[in-house]
Amino acid sequence: MAEDRFVVVRNDEEQYSIWAADREIPAGWQDAGFTGSKADCLAHVDEVWTDMRPRSLRESAR
Amino acid sequence: MTEVREWSFPASYAQERVWFANQRDVGSPVHNVSSPWTFPTGLTREQVTAVFAEVVARHEALRSCLRLQDGVLLQVVRAVEPIELPVDDLRELPDDERVRRTAEIAAELSRTAIPLDRPPLWRARLVRLGDTAWRLLLVLHHAVFDAHSVAVFRDEMDALSRAAVSGTAAVLPELPIQYADYAAWQREQLAGAGLKTQLAFWRDRLADAPPVLDLPLDRPRPAELGFGGDEVHFTLPDGLLDRVSALGRGASATPFMVLLTAFSALLSQLSGSPDVVVGVSTTGRDLPELAPLIGMFVNPIALRCDLDGDPTFTELLGRVRDALMDAMEHGQTPFQLVVEAVAPQRDPAVQPIFQAAINYVPDTGFDPVPLGTTKDDLAFDLASGTSRLLYRTALFDRSTAEAIVDRYVRLLQAAVADPGLRVSALPLLTDVERALVVGEWNDTTRRIAERTVPALVEEQVGRTPEATALICDGATMTYAELDARANPLARTLIARGVGPESLVALALPRSPELVVAVLAVLKSGAAYLPIDTSYPAERIAWLLDDAAPALVLATAATAALVPGEVPVLAVAADVDAPLTDADRVPVTDADRVAPLRPGHPAYVLYTSGSTGRPKGVVVEHRSVNAYLAWARHSYPGLAGTALLHSPISFDLSVTGLLGPLTAGGAIRLAAIDAPAARAGGRPTFLKATPSHLPLLDGELSPTADLVLGGEALAGEPLAAWRAAHPEVTVINEYGPTEATVGCVAARIEPGESLPPGPVAIGRPIWNVEVYLLDPALRPVPVGVAGELFVAGDQVARGYLRRPALTAERFLPCPFGAPGRRMYATGDRARWRADGTIEYLGRTDHQVKVRGHRIELGEIESALLARPDVHRAAVLVREDDQGEPYLVGYVVGPAERDVLAAELARTLPAHLVPAAFVRLDDLPLTANGKLDRDRLPAPEQVSQAYVAPRTDAEALVAEVFAEILQVEKVGARDDFFALGGNSLRGMRAMARIRSEVDLDVPMRALFSHPVVADLAVQIEQLIAAEVDDLSDAEVAALLSAEEGTTR
Repeated sequence: MAEDRFVVVRNDEEQYSIWAADREIPAGWQDAGFTGSKADCLAHVDEVWTDMRPRSLRESAR
Repeated sequence: MTEVREWSFPASYAQERVWFANQRDVGSPVHNVSSPWTFPTGLTREQVTAVFAEVVARHEALRSCLRLQDGVLLQVVRAVEPIELPVDDLRELPDDERVRRTAEIAAELSRTAIPLDRPPLWRARLVRLGDTAWRLLLVLHHAVFDAHSVAVFRDEMDALSRAAVSGTAAVLPELPIQYADYAAWQREQLAGAGLKTQLAFWRDRLADAPPVLDLPLDRPRPAELGFGGDEVHFTLPDGLLDRVSALGRGASATPFMVLLTAFSALLSQLSGSPDVVVGVSTTGRDLPELAPLIGMFVNPIALRCDLDGDPTFTELLGRVRDALMDAMEHGQTPFQLVVEAVAPQRDPAVQPIFQAAINYVPDTGFDPVPLGTTKDDLAFDLASGTSRLLYRTALFDRSTAEAIVDRYVRLLQAAVADPGLRVSALPLLTDVERALVVGEWNDTTRRIAERTVPALVEEQVGRTPEATALICDGATMTYAELDARANPLARTLIARGVGPESLVALALPRSPELVVAVLAVLKSGAAYLPIDTSYPAERIAWLLDDAAPALVLATAATAALVPGEVPVLAVAADVDAPLTDADRVPVTDADRVAPLRPGHPAYVLYTSGSTGRPKGVVVEHRSVNAYLAWARHSYPGLAGTALLHSPISFDLSVTGLLGPLTAGGAIRLAAIDAPAARAGGRPTFLKATPSHLPLLDGELSPTADLVLGGEALAGEPLAAWRAAHPEVTVINEYGPTEATVGCVAARIEPGESLPPGPVAIGRPIWNVEVYLLDPALRPVPVGVAGELFVAGDQVARGYLRRPALTAERFLPCPFGAPGRRMYATGDRARWRADGTIEYLGRTDHQVKVRGHRIELGEIESALLARPDVHRAAVLVREDDQGEPYLVGYVVGPAERDVLAAELARTLPAHLVPAAFVRLDDLPLTANGKLDRDRLPAPEQVSQAYVAPRTDAEALVAEVFAEILQVEKVGARDDFFALGGNSLRGMRAMARIRSEVDLDVPMRALFSHPVVADLAVQIEQLIAAEVDDLSDAEVAALLSAEEGTTR
């Protein structure tokens, strides 16, 4: 069996998560442009999710 | 009477199997098969009797019985004898009454067991419906009759009846061989290398198969299975079987293969296992000579279905088809030989190899009289007319069986409609069920005001400035004082650059300063990070390094615990210093380095989790506010006095810390075993772990609310406390730190009865949604275990500076409003029918012993149900070979040897701990949870040789040794573990029977295969038989018998 493929997803609050590539992405989440093994996806999240504050909070705090 | 003429032949393997199964309960009608026949009109009583007698004369099977002789099972065939059939004359009855009465007689006949040792193995009655209208009600033992026999019987009855009506001779097929010839031939066939090859196939095919199909049960599996069963009747939707056939044709598969594939998919979904074994029957009539015979030829085969990798239905059908064809080629291997080769270890709680079966009887249908029995846990008989599901009533409720039927039909319909669907995409829930578990039971919306935690406390200060906020070692502090002490510290923190999104660590002992510091940090806008000062220095250093707080607040004493490079702010211990007006001026956004919003973190708590290093959970004000709003509403005791005894680094303590401060109550700060905890009368509110329960005496126990959390709760240990404190509400609160303190709760009101066993964790609280999902993240049906996911206001932001870990555990939520996240708790739980949730344990801690999934809580409950066990814990340890075994830890006067023996009466063998350890008390962690790491290893696991201790043990051990050709058999040795099989078992029991001259039932060996246990059974039987003999006489009898065996 091939290793399960995941996709990195992101919501409007710019929070990141991962989702099985062959499953429909839930509403309110977008493909963040990275697909791969679970480990690769999580490594990618570690790189791109540099500010873990929700976007609305970041913007209101400006 | 003249002498009866009989001939003996070896029994067939199928008869041997039925005979064995029958021994479990010889009084059960489970093996009865009914085969009624309505004669054409125009015949006399003599004529119809002659027709039936002719069929009996033709088939030896209908004149035979089974008898055990010298440990060998024989079929004994009797010569043809005249037959007399009793008549029930129903001519006088009105039509409907006649039908009813006929059904009654048939049912009575069906439900009466037929003893196997006296021929014939059938019971018949004639019902007279009109002057020349007769119906034969016939019930036969499965040992001499099978489904194909029904067709043979009907053909012959039909031919003979019509011949009788027309006065001609019937033409019936010649019977070149009889059943006994077949049995002898079969034994010959299986004598040599052929059998070895066949068994090698099955050993290979069934290697490491799950020993038990882990279906969601309504009741724990009893220690010993009976045949008690019931059945749900249903009709497959119109046209479904046609579509099943069409799908089969396209895939070179029979309709049965399609039905079987759908069943395997259902079982896989319900059990959560991709490896499913299903029982299937073969007719066992491969040779043309066998076709016209009445007799028992059926042989079950175990079909292992591989659902790995979530195949599409079409793919799965291909796998099942290939596996079935392979298996059918080896279908003549007697099933009991397969059992002995594959699963010699008998567990009387589980039917070996498969527990679920499926049959397709498109034309004949099934036996119309429900017998109230079943051989399997679940068995479908599918037909074009009425179908049925048989289920074991010891395990399932009727409603569950009905739900299984619904799910099967729905899944089958979806699969034939779109066989390209993956198994995980086949529907399991109805729309109504889905709406229930996703919507209705999660309808928790409650409007609450948006607040930050310091705002909540400040509002309370405004409402009750002079009320007591804090009691510590006799000193008290009012709300106004607490506020005024916190304000200057908050300003100092702000002056050091601390604000929203910064982190301030608290290395402070349990003291008033700790509470002041918590409030000060919150007022500054920062989040607090509690450091348990009792931790080893290394761990504290690691934690500070990982969290990298802006500052550490410490006392002079605790500052030494902080590594050099971390900035420390000393907190003065002078809570008695006079306050100034400036101290009373509130801290606002104008003072803070940035405005404080509900989305900013309030605290960071480190959790260890089961794997990996500890991680900091970042919890925002909005989540804490949401939890506190619910807690204030639910726990009136928070407005009184709350005992805060656990370290505030444990999220359970948030309720007792921030709860009172936002409800106008007083925090009593004291260790649970300190005198100060009891000073000032009983608290109104207390939150603790279930492990704390024994400590809660008349002085410590709260008067209003006892909240239990942090560990699984069982009814038994709680019962005593509730009996002593009947006026108190008990709340079982569940919640991981990642979902803010508590997110699911069950209230047990005063006077409410609470059954023993696990206490439900209840329902999701305000603004929390809980989803129980399968591995494909689909909602599981009621009763089925799933992983618990939490969504809603209380879901934390994530793990401090751990984006990958956060992304892995906080997932997109496919339910509710778009864009939400849900937290994967890693806990297993299931919905009960009333919408409450039952906690089942950790998904990553699933304990398996001897292939069985173990619920440790179930064993703990069984221990706690005993009056001589006050506290109990069960642990899995590994022996020298790395094999897991169970250890029971008990507090109380219970004797270890007695525990093992008596537990075995209520629990299946795999749940009985192999060793017990008696302790004065169970060790607890600082947080009050059971400290499993500190439970000692047992001194010895009792696997060593124990010499027989009684005469009965000596007798059993000697017989075992002789039959099994083993040199030394001890009191603790298991017959099957020593290499015993059913044939040898038969011999052993025959020997024992002749030794003690008592009818020791065969099932005694299956239920009690251990020497000592079987010996007890024999002693009891002797005692029952000869209760007028003295003990000495019994002993003499036993030893005398033993003497003769040498």
